[in-house]
Amino acid sequence: MLTPALAATTFLVLIPVVETLWMSLHNVILFRPRSAPFVGLANYAHALADPVFWSSLGNSVIWVGGAVSLQFGLGLGTALLLNRSFAWRGIARALVVVPWALPSVIIGLIWTWMLDFNLGVLNEIGVRLGLLSAPIAWLAQPDTAMAAVILAVVWQGFPFFAVTLLAGMQAIPFDLYEAAALDGAGPFLRFRYVTLPGLAEVIATTLLLRMIWVANSLDLIFVMTGGGPGTATQTLPLHAFLTAWSGGNYGEGSALAVIFTLILLSVVVIHVRRTHRQ
Amino acid sequence: MKRRTLLTGATAALATTPLARPHAQKAVTIRWWYHFDDPKATPDALIAAFEKTNPGIHVEAENIPWGGGGDYDNRLYTSLIAGNGPDVAMVKFVNQARLLEMEALLPLDTWIDAWPGKSDISNDVWRLHMGPDGKRYYLPLQYVVLYLYVRQDWLAQKNLKLPTTFPDFLAAAEATTGDNRWGFGLRGGSGGHDFWATFVLGNGAKIAKGGLTSPQALAANQWFIDLYRAHHVCPPSAPTDAFLQTINNMKAGRTAMTIHHIGSANELTAALGDAITAVPVPRGTNGPGWATYGDGSSAVFAASKNREAAWKWAAYLSTSATNVAFNKLSGQVTVTTSGAANWDVQPKRFIEATTNSLPMAQVLPNLPQTADFTRTVWPQTTQRALLGQISPDDMMRTFDKLFFA
Repeated sequence: MLTPALAATTFLVLIPVVETLWMSLHNVILFRPRSAPFVGLANYAHALADPVFWSSLGNSVIWVGGAVSLQFGLGLGTALLLNRSFAWRGIARALVVVPWALPSVIIGLIWTWMLDFNLGVLNEIGVRLGLLSAPIAWLAQPDTAMAAVILAVVWQGFPFFAVTLLAGMQAIPFDLYEAAALDGAGPFLRFRYVTLPGLAEVIATTLLLRMIWVANSLDLIFVMTGGGPGTATQTLPLHAFLTAWSGGNYGEGSALAVIFTLILLSVVVIHVRRTHRQ
Repeated sequence: MKRRTLLTGATAALATTPLARPHAQKAVTIRWWYHFDDPKATPDALIAAFEKTNPGIHVEAENIPWGGGGDYDNRLYTSLIAGNGPDVAMVKFVNQARLLEMEALLPLDTWIDAWPGKSDISNDVWRLHMGPDGKRYYLPLQYVVLYLYVRQDWLAQKNLKLPTTFPDFLAAAEATTGDNRWGFGLRGGSGGHDFWATFVLGNGAKIAKGGLTSPQALAANQWFIDLYRAHHVCPPSAPTDAFLQTINNMKAGRTAMTIHHIGSANELTAALGDAITAVPVPRGTNGPGWATYGDGSSAVFAASKNREAAWKWAAYLSTSATNVAFNKLSGQVTVTTSGAANWDVQPKRFIEATTNSLPMAQVLPNLPQTADFTRTVWPQTTQRALLGQISPDDMMRTFDKLFFA
């Protein structure tokens, strides 16, 4: 009975992982297919010695930290609102999923044009309302480009938290809220001592999943900035992708992918250990 | 059995065997990879006409996603490596060096020299299609030459002539900057290396050992970066502006000049009418001038089991009337002289700018690093220089290291 699952896991997970590991230890250049000599850890050493690796890793930390925290905050707020009763709650609950349902490439294109220096609607509205004295080249300046791509991914990803946390909230027994209210707890205290503890496991799991997904994602950044200006928005997965796809260097690209996987795995291990202790 | 009956019977028997029939051409199928910018364009009519005149050849056309070129190229390389590549495909110069390293290409010289259509393609075009070893691996199929779009109405208001030299160009850019308008729509994003080539490779720099870090090369590059950083004739978004941004800025009346090719002429004319024109890119004093030749060619692959049939299809596509029909689908320009004489897909002034640019037409050198340079290294490094994160000289040293370290 387990054979189909094992076969799928082998072909879709195990074999690609083993192949990546093999490529990371060899000098694999796409347009030199007849020569892929074993180089040991040379690809890893070269990757780690490259300043672009460290700037990309730093960008990844900012990208994940900024995106996931804002997605969580906005998603939690949305879930709290959608947990209340109001006339068009059903429609609101359906509409909130729209950003999540759109393909990342479409979202990237939408936000690229909304943020366009000359023709973008955000600059137009900002100038007309007096919020901006002049249009801003959001995607062309290193100071604003990362914030711009994080804004786009927050818009895309907050529905995941909204829907998951809403489901978690609805599983919290109403009796607990009643008891807290009888004890004199106001809305904030009820949130602090009933809602949050009730959502603790859901929050931990969703944060972990979303952190891994955002960390690995590169499509939105690729469409909006290509990692630019310069390398201002280039994260480590994008650096790995460009090393292989543009440079043809699949050996070093694989090494970069393995390094990043180990970094993410260490976070997963910490989370699993914490969960076991509890 | 009587001898005559035996002979008659034997002859009749032999006549029914394949040995007796004149050699019937075995029908072959060739796989052809292509890409058109317009997703609605289809080569079906061309294929049908070819198969009618070549009944032994069936063309199996596969439209491969372009993905900025990287997707098409990577799919081509991996399919050739896997032994599942096409017989013939549309290719570009930027991947010739890699295909040659893979020993994937077939020299076409013998076929080309015997081909009647050879004389219908200009010597300038053949010059550009010569491979690094003097052999021809690519058959010209389509082309554009990048030229300078100009708002001639704005220049006329300032009593300026259409620029031909760098000083003219800078004067025109400065005169037309102001009031939320900029003189030059610089492209610092994807594809911007063509702009850089005009002002830097065309003015004394060379992609050769020492050629990117010579005093002349560094001065040319400094001049180019100064358009944005010192003269401020480009929009603030220029570091990451790519094709759509530069063309839309022109259409929206935000920029006076930009560089592109005839493929955008109809779109710009629809927006701006006679206010828009085109001239060859300006020429500097220190170099031969550089107008990027945007190539598109056919290549027959060494692994093809139907080379002759593949060549026939490639040659058909590059022959006069067919080449004109092909380029009406691809949105580029016919490579044939006879086709160009009656080419009327875009207004005449843009065709003239294209053909007048041919003597200055250049391509980047055929090196394995060229694809990575155009796709990733050039945009990343140039954006950093435009934003002042690195000096223009360090930008050129980065390029030098990529090619010659």
